[in-house]
Amino acid sequence: MHIPDYYEFCCRVNIVTDHHALEKIPELLLSMGAKNPMVLTDKGVQAAGLIDIVIGAIDNKLSIKTIEDQVPPDSDLKIVNRLACVYHEKGCDAIIAVGGGSVLDTAKGINILVSEQAQDLMQFTGAGVLKQKLKPLIAVPTTAGTGSEVTSVAVIADHEKNLKMLFTSPFLLPDTAIIDPRMTLTLPPHITAATAMDAMAHAVEAYVMLSKNPLSDAHAIEAIKLICHHLVRVIKQPSDKKGRLALATAATMAGIAFSNSTVGMVHALGHSMGSVCHLPHGNCMAILLPYGLEYNLHKVEDEIAELLLPLAGEEIYACTPQKNRALKAIACIRELNQILNKATGGTHPICFKNIKDKQGNFLVTKKMLPEIARTAMGDGTIFYNPEDLDYEDCLMTIQAAWEGIPLDRSKIKQG
Amino acid sequence: METFIEIKPGRKPFQRIYLGIMLWFVGKAIQAAARVDNEVKKEFKGMPANYTFSLGAFPNGPYMIVGKDDKEKVRYLGSNISKHHVDLEITLKSMKNLFVLFTFRESTPIANSRDRMIVNGDLPQACAAVRILDIVQVYLLPKPLAKLAIKRYPRWSLKRHTVDRLMVLIRTITGI
Ligand SMILES: [Fe+2]
Repeated sequence: MHIPDYYEFCCRVNIVTDHHALEKIPELLLSMGAKNPMVLTDKGVQAAGLIDIVIGAIDNKLSIKTIEDQVPPDSDLKIVNRLACVYHEKGCDAIIAVGGGSVLDTAKGINILVSEQAQDLMQFTGAGVLKQKLKPLIAVPTTAGTGSEVTSVAVIADHEKNLKMLFTSPFLLPDTAIIDPRMTLTLPPHITAATAMDAMAHAVEAYVMLSKNPLSDAHAIEAIKLICHHLVRVIKQPSDKKGRLALATAATMAGIAFSNSTVGMVHALGHSMGSVCHLPHGNCMAILLPYGLEYNLHKVEDEIAELLLPLAGEEIYACTPQKNRALKAIACIRELNQILNKATGGTHPICFKNIKDKQGNFLVTKKMLPEIARTAMGDGTIFYNPEDLDYEDCLMTIQAAWEGIPLDRSKIKQG
Repeated sequence: METFIEIKPGRKPFQRIYLGIMLWFVGKAIQAAARVDNEVKKEFKGMPANYTFSLGAFPNGPYMIVGKDDKEKVRYLGSNISKHHVDLEITLKSMKNLFVLFTFRESTPIANSRDRMIVNGDLPQACAAVRILDIVQVYLLPKPLAKLAIKRYPRWSLKRHTVDRLMVLIRTITGI
């Protein structure tokens, strides 16, 4: 096992996992000296009836000051500023964030403003600017994917200046994450598949990228195992509560893994795919993951080979000769995508050229690929990728992913 | 009452001198490469007007600063960080970390992955700055050393490896 000379691992989030974890919220919040929370969410979560479940579970044991469901799909500076004012006006003393990545990012942004008594979020951008504990924040993830409930970063977009502000600090870690399968029980199959593949990409990238360490590895491996064991079953049987809990646990573990290691080119390309073509992040991850591994194969073959065990199980791992294990692991991920595609009636995409919006228009055209490659060159996660990537390398990779054909490995430049 | 932090000179004068010279070379070479190398030119072109970035060690340096002037010309701006507004800071957490980096015992990506660096500034620009530093290292260093410093040794044209390199080296030393 590879042990780096130096690494840090930090996850000081109290993770409460239970089929009735929501009921613990009042007790947890009161123990932190707060009882007047703001409930923060988005319209989708609200419409799915999840807030009713949360409110029901809290059962008047807290005085909820306000329920805000205005969080947009992409966190926004203006909304953060406005909601920070609401927090003060209504006399809130904590935030319960119910939702996916954007809700969590927004909650973290509001929490900076209200805890620091500040007006301008800009002064807190970058790493390590926050110096003290923020107000209580409880995260209730509803997607089993992003892992934001255990990450110390927040990304907030200033849409007026066309900027994405990045905040990193251990103080951004929520105090508590509530993992309750009722929050993901009603996710439709294609979203379950996409978000689980996002978690898969977090775990796999955490395991092969330059910042890997034994502690992040352990979380990554277990997350992959859980996803492989439960994902297809849950897609076929959405009301499988145990399976839902397992997937939610996997997403949290994968979140711990990547926030203490890093993600790499799969996310660099995926982020730019998302920003140029407005594709769901999970779909990008599912499609790009095998390509990211293929691209880095010559640098991290041993690590990828080790992933065959959690991906395929002992029998297949033992039957596969060492030299074939890495390629077999990549094939396993492709196969999982194929199975998910079938199980979701074709809605889980396996290449970019087939993705259509609700009106039937193609979301990614070949013409967009150069812009996507250019955008990816400015994504910080590229630093942590084992092999270097230039513009042509990015373009070559997304072209293959667009067509759905394996990467021509003879074209990968190897120093 | 205000308290003043007393800045003590580093206790490792050899490291400080060595790093000072290396950073001077890197800074001058960036200025030179920006005149000679098309890729470096392109990276600088993508940066905003008057953009400056620094490389150095926390807390007392040494540092080097490069940036574009009003006429889009790339210049080495010296080592005094307090004299310039810096848009992007790439800082190693200690002088020792910088020394390990500049004695090629740890590559830039490994140093970064081991959390030895702090990058303060816009990410797309930071990515561009790292690419510029990579190219400059290929110009300055013999291949075996450059291979230790960067992820992938590039396949350049013969002209770039010979004529351009010579031009960069001459311009670095003469400063023109
Ligand atoms: Fe992700």
